[in-house]
Amino acid sequence: MELKVLKATITKEFQVRLRAYPVSFMVGCILTSFYTTFGAWLMYHYFFRGQLSESFGSLTGTRDYMSYAIVGSLMYLFVVRTCLNVSRTLMTELWEGTLESLMLAPFRRVSYFLGNMLLQTITTFGETSIAALIGVLFGLRIHDFNPVGFIIAVLLSLYCFFGVSLILGCVMLYTRNTYITQNTLFTAMFLVCGITFPKEYLPMWLRVLGSIIPVTDCVSLMRASLLGGFPQDQMVKLVIRAFVIGTAYIALGMPLMKKVEIIALEKMEG
Amino acid sequence: MIEVKNLKKTYDVKRRDGLFKSHRETIEAVKDISMRIDAGQIVGLLGINGAGKTTTIKMLTTLIEPTSGTYSFDGMDAIVHPAEVKKQINMIAGGERMIYWRLSAYENLWYYGQLYGIDNSVLKQRIENLLKMVGLQDKANLPVETFSKGMKQRLQIARGLINDPKYIFLDEPTIGLDAVVTRELHDEIKSLAKVKEKGILLTSHYLSEVEELCDYIYLVNNGELIVEGTKKDLTDFVFLRNQYVFSTKGMDKNVYNGLKRHVRNVDNDAEILFENGKAMITSNVELSTILAGFAIQESLTIVELHKMEPSLEQAMIKLSKDMKKEAEREILYKSLVG
Repeated sequence: MELKVLKATITKEFQVRLRAYPVSFMVGCILTSFYTTFGAWLMYHYFFRGQLSESFGSLTGTRDYMSYAIVGSLMYLFVVRTCLNVSRTLMTELWEGTLESLMLAPFRRVSYFLGNMLLQTITTFGETSIAALIGVLFGLRIHDFNPVGFIIAVLLSLYCFFGVSLILGCVMLYTRNTYITQNTLFTAMFLVCGITFPKEYLPMWLRVLGSIIPVTDCVSLMRASLLGGFPQDQMVKLVIRAFVIGTAYIALGMPLMKKVEIIALEKMEG
Repeated sequence: MIEVKNLKKTYDVKRRDGLFKSHRETIEAVKDISMRIDAGQIVGLLGINGAGKTTTIKMLTTLIEPTSGTYSFDGMDAIVHPAEVKKQINMIAGGERMIYWRLSAYENLWYYGQLYGIDNSVLKQRIENLLKMVGLQDKANLPVETFSKGMKQRLQIARGLINDPKYIFLDEPTIGLDAVVTRELHDEIKSLAKVKEKGILLTSHYLSEVEELCDYIYLVNNGELIVEGTKKDLTDFVFLRNQYVFSTKGMDKNVYNGLKRHVRNVDNDAEILFENGKAMITSNVELSTILAGFAIQESLTIVELHKMEPSLEQAMIKLSKDMKKEAEREILYKSLVG
């Protein structure tokens, strides 16, 4: 990895955002988190009348549905913001007419993507913190905080989301489309990754789909570190599985990105 | 030295036939191009739109891989070692692309310098020199989005030189620039080649630019090399016939008819037109002495007698017209045969 490129990309992205930070976009993302939480709150209080099935407790290890749903929606906000921005970096370069000059330079792409990822992480932490404060108003409570588990969950999530971003970025650059691609993926994630309800409630084929997206394990891990109710050995299993799936995404995403870059440059010919 | 032989690039593209129907098609963007660029030489790549110039440049800059052919870069196989090639080349394209509009001029050059791994102390000095060279030293800290078209183009030129490349690819570099800046850029391009010994490949729609700058020219059409050589070689290739303007004092219809007979005695295929009191003659034969002899024989005072030197621009226009005619003939032939 080239640290020079990593640092330069962080600086460049920071300068760009300082001058043109998409405030409305940030508000939009926080609002999405708010609506998700609000929707879950309405469902829980007025549809389920505060009643939870026995299976919910046994599957999730908690009886606090609102905290369960809010942590899920915060993680969803985190994955959407990081994946969206990192996967769109090359598309943005293409739109701004800088893709060719960037590809002309002899640097390693991993440093460039990591630089984008790290800066986005800082921004996303800020946005998620604001969303978390809103969540407190809806009943977010930290029952059993595990600091080591929390740090592992954050680092592992970043690692896995980086992999997801690469794959998503490849699809976007290949199809030259961001909206249909990102919205399809994010809707699928919302449904199958256990954001507001346990994935075990889904039919088997959707559960399988959820299990190959590392976001599912990262969300479970984050919940376990904040809300408790997960035995140690199960947490270790989650960590290993998320790490393996995340690695697979990165291992597939990096070489694929190289190929897609070439296709994108060829497509520029018309 | 850069040397490419039989370079070819095909694309497999999807063509829509309707809302739900499509078919795949193979497009030959470059069919067969061989060329060479030496250090210290300015080479022109000319061709009408869609001739394959940009695809050729993209292959030479290793942005895209050729489908077949060889590419030698200072003796190294450039197709196998694109990263090594990238360190020693750069590209400057026309328009306002290839720079970040939200960054300042200095920040742009600094970022690209980092991507090329240039040492910070060297980079600082180089940025200052380049900004001075393109006349942007006073605007170094302003965001590029506030720049005029010409200023953006000048910054792009500085960006293209940030890694002190050995070979530079200039794709329509003076588009949108005013005459003064264009003149300065031309001087800079000449200096880069002749003083700093850089090899330069230039594509341009401004034929006067190619005429002025290029030591050697490749003319491409429909992905193939049509002709190569110096400016004179190319104009000779297109204008095989000599063109003359001839007029005398009191030149009227009678004199013109006499001249016509005189010239036709020498070259029966000569084309002679009488316009605004002047005779315009096109012939395969060298006519200067014949025309002078006619004036002496008829006791006429010569007002004008000169052989026209065709410009590269005229050559290009004529060539593209000839090719269009050729293509039309081919279509007609195919429709008749098939």
